[in-house]
Amino acid sequence: MKLKEIDLTAMQAWSPAQQHPIYLATGTSAQQLDASFSTNASLEIFELDLSDPSLDMKSCAVISSSHRYHKLIWGPHSMTAGESVSGVLIAGGENGNVILYDPAKILVGNSEAIIAQKDKHTGPVRALDVNMFQTNLVASGANESEIYIWDLNNFATPMTPGAKTQPLEDISCIAWNRQVQHILASASPSGRATVWDLRKNEPIIKVSDHNNRMHCSGLAWHPDVATQMVLASEDDRLPVIQMWDLRFTSSPLRVLESHTRGILAIAWSMADSELLLSCGKDAKILCSNPNTGEVLYELPTNMQWCFDIQWCPRNPAIFSAASFDGRISTYSIMGGSTDGLRQKHVDQLSSSFGNLDPFGTGQPLPPLQLPQQTAPQSVVLPLKKPPRWIRRPVGASFSFGGKLVTFENAKPQQQPGVDQQPQHHYVYVSQVVTEKEFLARSTQLQEAVQSEGFVSYCQKKIDMAQADFERNVWAFLKVNFEEDSRAKYLELLGYRKDDLKNKVSVAESCACVKYFVDGFICQVQPCIINVFICDNKQETEDLGSARKTFNISVSGDVDGLITQALLTGNFESAVDLCLHDNRMADAIILAIAGGQELLSRTQEKYFSKIQSKITRLITAVVTKNWKEIVQSCDLQNWREALAAVLTYARPDEFAALCDLLGNRLESEGDSLLRTQACLCYICAGNVEKLVACWSKVQDGNSPLSLQDLIEKVVILRKAVQLTQAVDPNAVGALLAEKMSQYANLLAAQGSIAAALTFLPANTDQPNIVLLRDRLCRAQGELPAGQEAIRAPYERQPIPKDRAGPVVGQVPGPQTSAQQYYQQVRIAPTVTTWSNKTPTALPSHPPAGCPSDTQGDKPPPPGFIMPGAVNPSAPPQQATSPSYSMYSQAGTRPAYPQTYQSTQQYSFGTGETALYQPQQPIAAPASASYPSPASNTNPPYLPTAHPVPSSLYPGQPQPSPTSLNPASSFPLPPSGASFQHGRPGLPATSVAYALPTGPTGTLPAASDLPASQRTGLMAGIDPPALNRTAKKKKVPDNFMPPVPITSPIMNPLADPQAQTQQPPAAPVGTPSFQPPQLPAGQQAPLGPYAPQALGPGVVPPTTFKPRTEGAPGAPIGNAMQHVQALPTEKITKKPIPEEHLILKTTFEALIQRCLLSASDPQTKRKLDDANKRLEFLYDKLREQTLSPAIVSGLHSIVKSIETRNYVEGLNIHMHIVSTSNFSETSAFMPVLKVVLIQANKLGV
Amino acid sequence: MFGIVFNGNGFVWQSYPIFHLGFTRILHIIVSVMYRPPVCHNRNAFLSAFPNNVVSCRHEGPVWQVAWAHPMYGNILASCSYDRKVIIWKEENGTWEKTYEYTGHDSSVNSVCWAPHDYGLILACGSSDGAISLLSYTGDGQWEVKKISNAHTIGCNAVSWAPAVVPGSLIEQPSGQKPNYIKRFASGGCDNLVKIWKEEDGQWKEEQKLEAHSDWVRDVAWAPSIGLPTSTIASCSQDGRVFIWTCDDASGNSWSPKLLHKFNDVVWHVSWSITANILAVSGGDNKVTLWKESVDGLWACISDVNKGQGGVSAVTEGQQNEQ
Repeated sequence: MKLKEIDLTAMQAWSPAQQHPIYLATGTSAQQLDASFSTNASLEIFELDLSDPSLDMKSCAVISSSHRYHKLIWGPHSMTAGESVSGVLIAGGENGNVILYDPAKILVGNSEAIIAQKDKHTGPVRALDVNMFQTNLVASGANESEIYIWDLNNFATPMTPGAKTQPLEDISCIAWNRQVQHILASASPSGRATVWDLRKNEPIIKVSDHNNRMHCSGLAWHPDVATQMVLASEDDRLPVIQMWDLRFTSSPLRVLESHTRGILAIAWSMADSELLLSCGKDAKILCSNPNTGEVLYELPTNMQWCFDIQWCPRNPAIFSAASFDGRISTYSIMGGSTDGLRQKHVDQLSSSFGNLDPFGTGQPLPPLQLPQQTAPQSVVLPLKKPPRWIRRPVGASFSFGGKLVTFENAKPQQQPGVDQQPQHHYVYVSQVVTEKEFLARSTQLQEAVQSEGFVSYCQKKIDMAQADFERNVWAFLKVNFEEDSRAKYLELLGYRKDDLKNKVSVAESCACVKYFVDGFICQVQPCIINVFICDNKQETEDLGSARKTFNISVSGDVDGLITQALLTGNFESAVDLCLHDNRMADAIILAIAGGQELLSRTQEKYFSKIQSKITRLITAVVTKNWKEIVQSCDLQNWREALAAVLTYARPDEFAALCDLLGNRLESEGDSLLRTQACLCYICAGNVEKLVACWSKVQDGNSPLSLQDLIEKVVILRKAVQLTQAVDPNAVGALLAEKMSQYANLLAAQGSIAAALTFLPANTDQPNIVLLRDRLCRAQGELPAGQEAIRAPYERQPIPKDRAGPVVGQVPGPQTSAQQYYQQVRIAPTVTTWSNKTPTALPSHPPAGCPSDTQGDKPPPPGFIMPGAVNPSAPPQQATSPSYSMYSQAGTRPAYPQTYQSTQQYSFGTGETALYQPQQPIAAPASASYPSPASNTNPPYLPTAHPVPSSLYPGQPQPSPTSLNPASSFPLPPSGASFQHGRPGLPATSVAYALPTGPTGTLPAASDLPASQRTGLMAGIDPPALNRTAKKKKVPDNFMPPVPITSPIMNPLADPQAQTQQPPAAPVGTPSFQPPQLPAGQQAPLGPYAPQALGPGVVPPTTFKPRTEGAPGAPIGNAMQHVQALPTEKITKKPIPEEHLILKTTFEALIQRCLLSASDPQTKRKLDDANKRLEFLYDKLREQTLSPAIVSGLHSIVKSIETRNYVEGLNIHMHIVSTSNFSETSAFMPVLKVVLIQANKLGV
Repeated sequence: MFGIVFNGNGFVWQSYPIFHLGFTRILHIIVSVMYRPPVCHNRNAFLSAFPNNVVSCRHEGPVWQVAWAHPMYGNILASCSYDRKVIIWKEENGTWEKTYEYTGHDSSVNSVCWAPHDYGLILACGSSDGAISLLSYTGDGQWEVKKISNAHTIGCNAVSWAPAVVPGSLIEQPSGQKPNYIKRFASGGCDNLVKIWKEEDGQWKEEQKLEAHSDWVRDVAWAPSIGLPTSTIASCSQDGRVFIWTCDDASGNSWSPKLLHKFNDVVWHVSWSITANILAVSGGDNKVTLWKESVDGLWACISDVNKGQGGVSAVTEGQQNEQ
């Protein structure tokens, strides 16, 4: 693609690679006259500015010269970094002169730009080259075999490479070797090339073609291979480029014959040795790979010959070509569109035509669009082969979880010409850990949480704490886990009860008044005050009784008045008088006698009168109004206030008071106090506030400070959970944010499992959900919930890593997995886990639980038995499901969970719960088909149950009719069941035969230990595993089963079904019986677990009655069953009634359309739509659709009922535009199709 | 998840901090989008393990980069190649199939990058023809194309989306309210420029032109948002320099460069860790270095990553996977 052009007939030289910006120097060519026939010469420098989209190149400087040039080069000699322009321009002139210019001076307009000039040569200097290794060495060649080596540092006296070659001839080209610095080659038009060794000062090799028709116009050394060079011939009779290897000089190594006429110039890219430019008299510019001879690129040119062509050293994609029509063009070999440029061109033209075009668009001037040009394609394709410089040799990228993926090329430099085939490329995955301390502390925290060793953890923290505050906080936290926490808090605040007692006893010995004076009254328990008051009373009584007689004075003084008041029983006045007389004690004593009301009023008056430091405290103590204290105390006294609250506050108001104090500290206090607010929040157990306060005070950005916070929060939460009845999962927004931040950090350091444990469990904040999803994926699992939500087509997980490798090792499990998978696929409603997975645990159950997934799940449990009993028998393969189930659970510890989960579903009868694990064995097979619609487990439970009587009561059979006799009566003796088995045998075998190929379920399970242990992940794992396992084989065998069994297994055809059932049993019959009998009824959980674990373990369990569901039988049944049945019926829950109208309406509409549609294509569309709307129904069943969408759908239904399809479409559009793509993508498009069709058909 | 970069000699990798998936899985994908299968002794093992993953359609040139779409859209992968095509692949039923092919570029497509998932499915593609294309999924299998012509003269080498969070908005944004996102991305090209593009009224406009490099910009990486009101972009160049560009003001007008380091060789690739505090720099001398900003704002090399061996302090638990 042409980038720039200059209208000049000139020799050209790019600035050296070190130069930025890029310049192009041009010197008037000696060989051609330009259009004006002017004989003036000049040297001009242009700047290549690619950010300017125009075709013009900016001329930076021009100096006129007395010489015209045969050759111009720009050497990097004496370039220093940072200088704007430098290097040396070396020009070869007409008169045998070699001239050195300083480009820096030219650019600043200094006319004294010539550094030096020598005319040692006798003829025009046509060849010049700078040594790449010693840039001060320049070789020049001219007539008469003259070659000189110039030292730019000592320009006066050139050297010669050796004696002149004979016969004397012009030197047309000269080139330094690119690899060996003392090797030089020269060539002459006769076609002879000579290689010189400067150390030996003589020619070492002469290369010449025998046919003597070479007319050498170009010479270039191989950029990478020291012994190879190319020669280009100008002769039209031999327009070739010869590649020579000096080790083999008898004939050229390769001859490139792409040009049809003589080649005028060549240029070999230094950036990629597979790119050689050549231009010739056939007016072509070609880019070929000289190592193979292949032409990689042909440049669209303007049909003019180019006589000089140069790669830009700095920008490897750019080269320039000087053509005889007086133009130097700059091209990019990367292709691209010239539209923008041409438009520019046209604009220029139209503007120079005086804006004939009123709109200035250039469009009205079509004839001028391509003036004089032969319609170059607007789109120019790039090189056929990607040039080396766009291949990345190395790269490293971060991915989730602090993983760093790195690749590199084994050998950065490859031998050219050698096909780079058998190289090993390595990709490395590293874990980047930058926060070691953070991780270590996080681990400690986790350990503490897991071991519940909170106290020791806190103690450790206290011991390690550097700052007082930190120590304090930890001490407070620790108290949370201790007995009598309030007292301990008090101690922490500096108030010990024991100390207090001492003080009090000391104080008691002093005068009563001293109490009041004593500022530490706050430490006094209320009882003490009481005591004091009582004491006083007693004293007075004592006094009274001691005096035999006393004078009741009714004089006019105060005493008298009081007496009078007392005598009249007017306590109130008496008290007033006492108060007035400042006889406080008297007043209060009287008030006590005057009743509660008076007392409190007196207290009030007293407090308002007496203004000692502690009055308010006493007030609070007496009135129990601690809020007042907390609200109005001096913040410097927060400690005392908190102590008071700790002492007095009732449990129900305690937290609130602490909060209040904390709030005040936080909002009103200075920075120091603000931090103390944390302590209040800790006392209050207010996690959210603690987080808020902490993050305000502390710089929360560094991982360690976050760790500081999280440690406290986690501990406090644990404490709160211990003491208060709080939902352990409830997490506030701020805390959730911090926790997810923390989890993010952990994940970034590679602790994925830890991150998961810290991630708040039950928030639906999008970022947390997202993070959890990522974490699950990072652990190699697909998050359970999400899968379900997604449209079915997305459900299939990509095969898990391990699946492949493990193949063959565990053939059993694999098959099962597959089958399982198939089932899943048949029934598009794989909602099973979605339903069950909202919380952590559930996920297992769904997978393994027959109840809601009968379709898919029944097999697993059943298989356990057969596999165990008769490992070698065909049924064994069937065991796989069971394995997969367990594998889901992951490592051993997880097993119990599975069982528990299953139990959840067994609500049939109390006892049955116990057996449940087994239940699947019997139940799935027999029961599963009968009840297509029923998801409920109860019916099946009974089968497992040994005693029939108990069974029946417990069975709420949702679809009793469908139950087929065989299944419903588990009781028949084992013998009977076996009989059944016989006939079915073939069927079973078929079922088993289908699944083939191993899966890696078991091994895979072991990879997830961390998640399992924590239990958090338990729910999420299984689906992922299952799927992975299944997925692989699915395509092969999943279809066949259906046709085989489907007719037979039709749910409605009971008899058939009966006969069918047995098939499962046949295989194992003989061997199974014994175990079944002994097992008996008391099958506890325990026994089953072992079964699950190892295929080789013979289960001691199972009971006779159950024979029907005996190990062998169920398997076959279940499997076929599942495959055969229209699985939807089995697996799906009913659509909620209120939404049923959606389905009925849509289906009715489609039916109407189908009736009136004429062409098959439309019908097909509608049929398809009908099917795909199942996705919608599934979502309705799962109730996973957002209310907005559902209500929108109802609106659509309404519009359908009124036949207003256009409105329906509008609503549809509204829904689509406002809802989540992934949520609606499965069915909305189809719905649209239906609506459009309905509208078109006018039904 | 990883993105993958191929080079003609085999393939090379590039990982994007989107999601980490199992490692083997990615290899399979490589196999399926590969132009010339990497010659490696265990290639057949890969192929045979996934007979169903044979893809009927492939690129006709080396694939430079692939990018995962957010999983909420399913398993979608975009690949770009020297053959001037961008192909969007989708996994259905365990097989990868081409769901869309974009042939609107006139030269090698060097970089693809999915927009933050909040915007929907939008793919930015940078090509050697100098243009940048934006492909947006409009539903029903339709893709809308917007093209920025001559974004970088003679070639765009890299594109990288800004995180969806409007800087500084994280705290103030009331949850539940649809934040007012401004779509932005950065590109780097052969005109030595880093450019920032912004969507206004549905049109993409050049918002900023960041000039500091003196040679091709080989890669740009917009740092993930970590909630701070600062935008950060790393750019690396043929000239060996790596710049960290930061912009503190919400309008996005004042970007200031800071030279991270001047390497002695081409710097090919820069990649941010998820937490945006570590930058991995891949140099032409086959060296990968990790850089971290200290509290005082200076960038320091914390490690050389040596062939994943975990030889240096910051890197542990090296794991080798032979290709």
